[in-house]
Amino acid sequence: MPRKVTEEKQAEAQQLLEAPPATHLPAVAPDSLPKAPALTPEVNKQTPAVGQRVTRPDIRTHITGTTRYIDDLSFPGMLHVKILRSAHAHARILSINVDALHKMPGVVATLTGEEVPVNSFGSTYQDQPVLAVDRVRHRGDGIVAVAAETEQQALEALDAVKVDYEPLPAVFDPLEAMDPDAPKIHRIDNVYASKVIMRGDVDRGFEESDQIFERRYTTPMIEHVPLEPFAAIALWEPDGQLHVYSTNGRITLGRADLARTLSLPMNRIRLTATIIGGNFGGKNEIRTEPIVALLAKKSGRPVKAVYTRQEEFIASTTRHPLVMDYKTGIANDGRLLARSVKLVLDGGAYASWSETTVGKAAILAAGPYRIPNVRVEGRAVYTNKTVTGAMRGFGAPQVAFAYESQMDEIAYSLGIDPLEIRLLNGFEEGSISPTGQVLQAVALKETLLMAAKRSRWREGDL
Amino acid sequence: MKRPGRGIACMWYPIGFTVAANPSSAVVKVNEDGTATVLTGTVEVGQGSLTVLGQIAAQELGISADDVHVVSADTDIAPMDTGAIASRTTFVTGNAVRLAAAEAKTILLEVASEMLGMEPGELEAADHRIRAKTFPDKQVALAEVAARAQIARGRPPLGSASFNPPTISMDPETGQGKPFAAYVYATQIAEVEVDDETGEVEVLRICAAHDSGTAINPALVEGQVEGGIAMGIGMALEEEILFDAEGRQVNPNLTNYLIPTSLDVPRIEVDVIQSYDPLGPFGAKGVGEPTLVPTMPAILNAIHDAVGVRITDLPATAEKVLMAIKERAEVKPLGRG
Repeated sequence: MPRKVTEEKQAEAQQLLEAPPATHLPAVAPDSLPKAPALTPEVNKQTPAVGQRVTRPDIRTHITGTTRYIDDLSFPGMLHVKILRSAHAHARILSINVDALHKMPGVVATLTGEEVPVNSFGSTYQDQPVLAVDRVRHRGDGIVAVAAETEQQALEALDAVKVDYEPLPAVFDPLEAMDPDAPKIHRIDNVYASKVIMRGDVDRGFEESDQIFERRYTTPMIEHVPLEPFAAIALWEPDGQLHVYSTNGRITLGRADLARTLSLPMNRIRLTATIIGGNFGGKNEIRTEPIVALLAKKSGRPVKAVYTRQEEFIASTTRHPLVMDYKTGIANDGRLLARSVKLVLDGGAYASWSETTVGKAAILAAGPYRIPNVRVEGRAVYTNKTVTGAMRGFGAPQVAFAYESQMDEIAYSLGIDPLEIRLLNGFEEGSISPTGQVLQAVALKETLLMAAKRSRWREGDL
Repeated sequence: MKRPGRGIACMWYPIGFTVAANPSSAVVKVNEDGTATVLTGTVEVGQGSLTVLGQIAAQELGISADDVHVVSADTDIAPMDTGAIASRTTFVTGNAVRLAAAEAKTILLEVASEMLGMEPGELEAADHRIRAKTFPDKQVALAEVAARAQIARGRPPLGSASFNPPTISMDPETGQGKPFAAYVYATQIAEVEVDDETGEVEVLRICAAHDSGTAINPALVEGQVEGGIAMGIGMALEEEILFDAEGRQVNPNLTNYLIPTSLDVPRIEVDVIQSYDPLGPFGAKGVGEPTLVPTMPAILNAIHDAVGVRITDLPATAEKVLMAIKERAEVKPLGRG
């Protein structure tokens, strides 16, 4: 339906342009202030709604800096939490002494893992303690949480905690961790998740190939760096319901995890996620929510925990580092005939989302190409490093770096244009994926041609 | 000397969880004045998903985006949702919203059929009206129908629905199966300049063509692509958590762990390729995660095009690129490809 631009609307737009500058508004807009007209009012009022460049309802507060994130929320009598983290990458905890903590100024309540009703969580395997009790497996493991009148008092109080450790041999390299003699990080084998994809006969494919390309690619550990770090506030409502405000991006599962760790019925928990200042996968699990809930119960007061930037790095999840061995057999005309891929994911100290990541990485590893013979093996391995988990792309950015780097190498080696070799091999409508799925709505070549047109790829050099 | 180079990379990416059920539910209430309220358990994490869900409900009900208010992110208020993960919100939650809106619309069409003297199947909701499909002049305002439904007929136009993407489990030994209901595709072309004396790489321009199925809101698709590319530039050139020999992170701060700033983000030209996925809401698939997937190889391939070195361990820091340039210079003169 064509956009209706009436004279009246044009006059309205003109009025907007002539309106006094925004500085005439109060610095912080009270809630009662009438909403300013949207920048493109007609778009938001048009039908059909799909396909319109509708402006977001929250854009005004974002742009004016008046969006209220969890750190902007406060409740009367609210306490602040800080968490003592491990001094070792791998150690047995011999004793935790919090006696001196209660004498520290401002301290109202403390929490150790033994006080958590069910002290474990995790999206696939519940192998991660809310607070470590007898063992730490990386330096981000929390051991004692303290709630004090101010954040500073909570931080200073942590010095009074005494933890005795017996250091254990640690392993940081995922390839070393796969060695049967490597230190075991959990009771099970260090290789804790794997995925195999097989289609065709990859050995025969290599035999029939004119040339074979082999290379190892590696990617590092990466942090999500959301502008807003993890934050949570817990308070117990007069009717006995626990109300948690949290930066959790998955409240249905967040509530299930809270109910499990706290041994509470689900209807006794209300999980509210405010506007979240960036997720990128990192906020898909509970973090301090059980801790603030229990400290709020012990103290009888609302309790807030906000991660520092450093905690965001060391005590949240990160992107999996990958070691990727690619071997690709081709015909001299540029057709891909066989590809074998071996992936090792550094899974960090706890499972988190590694099983999903190894699965997605393996499924996507051969790239968007018609390759008759494919074999992919992916493995996720425990190490004594920061937990790796969900992050935008779940392994796909890593494998794409590998398969597209190798594609480029093949193209240059054969003297074929990198665009043309992709068009030659790329998925089309009805192509069959390495898992045997018939693909529909395949727009790969359209994207190749569009990007090439936009950048004037075929017109030659820069 | 600064040497120019360009690189291309494409990718595929799935929507939703791998095989595992990942349902979403939604409730749509049409108010007496013809506006609507959507309840969803998903969470807005900055990507604009609530705007998209509002547009989907509006489309199904024949009203505009401003006529829909979306309530989310509260387990006491909203129905279950698997959440803002796996690029699934538009596809999965969007389908739930669409189905819930369709259920509410059924009531509206039935009430309107009495008012217009036509069968419900002959009617459609469009442009704030319920009208005859084949004779659009025969119509009644949607607000009037909604008010009548609730006040006169005692049938508040309300719908609730769930959606779970169809998958087929994978064979444990061969991985054969249908792990995902939908995939999206994309290509990015990066243009860079590599300083052969310092190894520094500057990304000058990225052309990004992304398939997202039907773009429910093209502006938000473009925003996602631009944000993803910024993230991809960081992963390609500078981001890396480093550890000491005792397993301690040595750069857990934004002074020593560098992320791209607005000054590092080049000119980005986004083309939204519209395909139509019959399973998606109005043909939509998704766009969240895949936006950064081709960025790293596009940049790394451009570095190779510029100075002939192939960095195979990310990130391609200036030190690493310079080292590779020096090694290569010993073998043959520096140059393209």
